[in-house]
Amino acid sequence: MSETAAINTDATQVGGNGRVMIDVVNMDKFFGDFHALKNINMKVGEQEVVVVIGPSGSGKSTLIRCINRLERHDRGSIVVDGVELSDDIKAIQNIRRETGMVFQSFNLFPHLSVLDNITLAPRNVRNIPKAEAEATAMELLERVKIPDQARKFPGQMSGGQQQRVAIARSLAMKPKVILFDEPTSALDPEMIKEVLDTMKDLATEGMTMICVTHEMGFAREVADRVVFMADGEIVEVGTPEHFFTNPQEERTQLFLSQIL
Amino acid sequence: MVDKAANYLGDDIMSALAVDSTPPSAKLSPGDWMKKNLFSNAANSIVSLIVGLAAAALVWFGLKWIINADFAIIRANLRIFLIGQFPKEELWRPWASAYVLILGAGLMTGAMARNSYELDISQELEPVKESWGQMVRRFWPVLLVSIFFVSFARTIMPYIGLAAAFVLIVVTRELGWRMPAAVRQRALYIGVLLFIVSMLVIAGTSRLGGYALGLVVFIWMMSELSQVETLPVGFVGTLVRAAIALVIAAAVAVIQNLIPHDGFGWENWGGLHISLFTTVVGITLGMPFGILLALGRKSNLPVLKTASVIFIEFVRGVPLISLLLFSNLMLPLFLPIDFERPADLTLAIVVITGFSAAYIAEIVRGGLQAVPKGQTEAAQASGMSAASVQRFIVLPQALRAVIPAMVGQFIALFKDTSLLSIIGILEFLRVSDTSNAQQEFVGKGLASVTYLFVAIGYWAFAYTMSKESRRLEAKLGVGHR
Repeated sequence: MSETAAINTDATQVGGNGRVMIDVVNMDKFFGDFHALKNINMKVGEQEVVVVIGPSGSGKSTLIRCINRLERHDRGSIVVDGVELSDDIKAIQNIRRETGMVFQSFNLFPHLSVLDNITLAPRNVRNIPKAEAEATAMELLERVKIPDQARKFPGQMSGGQQQRVAIARSLAMKPKVILFDEPTSALDPEMIKEVLDTMKDLATEGMTMICVTHEMGFAREVADRVVFMADGEIVEVGTPEHFFTNPQEERTQLFLSQIL
Repeated sequence: MVDKAANYLGDDIMSALAVDSTPPSAKLSPGDWMKKNLFSNAANSIVSLIVGLAAAALVWFGLKWIINADFAIIRANLRIFLIGQFPKEELWRPWASAYVLILGAGLMTGAMARNSYELDISQELEPVKESWGQMVRRFWPVLLVSIFFVSFARTIMPYIGLAAAFVLIVVTRELGWRMPAAVRQRALYIGVLLFIVSMLVIAGTSRLGGYALGLVVFIWMMSELSQVETLPVGFVGTLVRAAIALVIAAAVAVIQNLIPHDGFGWENWGGLHISLFTTVVGITLGMPFGILLALGRKSNLPVLKTASVIFIEFVRGVPLISLLLFSNLMLPLFLPIDFERPADLTLAIVVITGFSAAYIAEIVRGGLQAVPKGQTEAAQASGMSAASVQRFIVLPQALRAVIPAMVGQFIALFKDTSLLSIIGILEFLRVSDTSNAQQEFVGKGLASVTYLFVAIGYWAFAYTMSKESRRLEAKLGVGHR
């Protein structure tokens, strides 16, 4: 392998402000016999925005689902903000507390109002008093620009509004990292922008983010680093300019030629 | 020529543009309706005719039978049909108990209706207050059947009692509607406490009633104290709250027990009352037990899982009758000799509770599986504990999804209480047999009269439950999700 290629598959250089937030070392994940993630090494720095792209089935979602233990990794280690993920339920809950997640299908709780959706975890997990939690929730709804929807139920809102509530819900726990799992893939085209704008605001405010997405415009504009995955491996890593204008790997070039 | 064509085209476009936004009227005259639905073709006409004739014959013979039937047996036994061998000098108890029950139900439902009304307003929806006409339409089977029952009374008292009950329903519901918001939020606890009090009124004071009151007060106080923010949070806070709640609950139980015991338990209960009572108790005790069994069956702990599976599959695989007989005939053989034999009804309630719990467990399990995995994941991802995820996210959605199946189970349980007669309990259906065995009525072939009476009674309550279930289903939008 040439020297440039070696550098380009190295995702362990830390961006952001240089402090390591997430450290994945030699991580493997199997589903039965299927080798879903192969020897993943990746570091994410505080305040860094990493966008993960790649064809479907490449293991992007599995990667970020391993970071908050929605999937259990089989080999290697994952350290989030200094806490290593193990079978210890306390460690898992500590990491989940500091790690927000936004899902493709929103996963709002349909039986709770928007306000209750946002305040449930802070009240239940962080023991924050009701009044305080609701005040915070209203601030967050201002921030995602739907304060007038606080009393509604998820089923009464559009997809874009629901996803913004989901973002507010994850922010309510004051997380150090937010994982986005294809947040715009289930949305109608005219609603994608409102969600991406919300995510851009977050990035500008210095939130550490890992986004699995198909929105190349977003990747180009917001990402500090782009990680390209295929067949369970990290194929290429680079800054957006480098990645989109001068991809090194054949696999990356093929992927980009298909989608751009 | 050209002009004409242009004109023609213009008219056509104009008429196409003039949108008629009213839907076409579907109203048919009675004649047209019959023609369309009953006699549209030869086959349809023949079916309509045959079914029509059969229905007419049924009504004719039915009416003839009813007019000629001798209802003296009902008149003579009305009290036994409704409350069994309840001592005559204690008759005030069932009445007082019913009024306390109405008080609780009226306050609770009135307050809950108002709460959902206010919720609609806060969500900018069109709020609806149910009119009394709609209420009558909702509960007409029970209303009609209670008037029907009382019409067999031989004194004026039951008429006055029933009229007073109707007035009380109206008054308490309006009162519940008008209660201040802080009281309305606690309506459920008030309703449950009054339900237990009504049971105590009819049975007299008892230690069991004291425990039941204490348990409800404890749960209530825990929920009240969780709102108090001056108390510490976390595990210590929970301990402090539990201690305070326990003291209050214990005080309530002790005070209840200090009231002189002037009741006589449930030895003399019977009739429709016992059927309704065992149903309600079977449901209220079977629900939490069934939910725990369902969670146990899904648990990762092998011991818990196996125990739940064995219990559920054993109870579901055996007829209720055999369980009742087992509890009545064989269980005492296993108990120590000096152990006082529990009352028949106590044993029956234990069996009915276990029986309904096993069925409820399977229904709830279906509901648990219907909750999408994403819901659990979203809750887990925010750091909630496994218990909290179940309690706040999974169970509320699972239970909502299984309401129709659950009510079906309740209706089945209500009808199954007729099996209690097998262990010598004088429930509603058995009164039919005992009254036909009375000296003045024996051998007169009046069983059809008493069976009809009993059937109407069962039907009124079962049909109301089924109507309410459909209403609840529509309200919660179960069918839409």
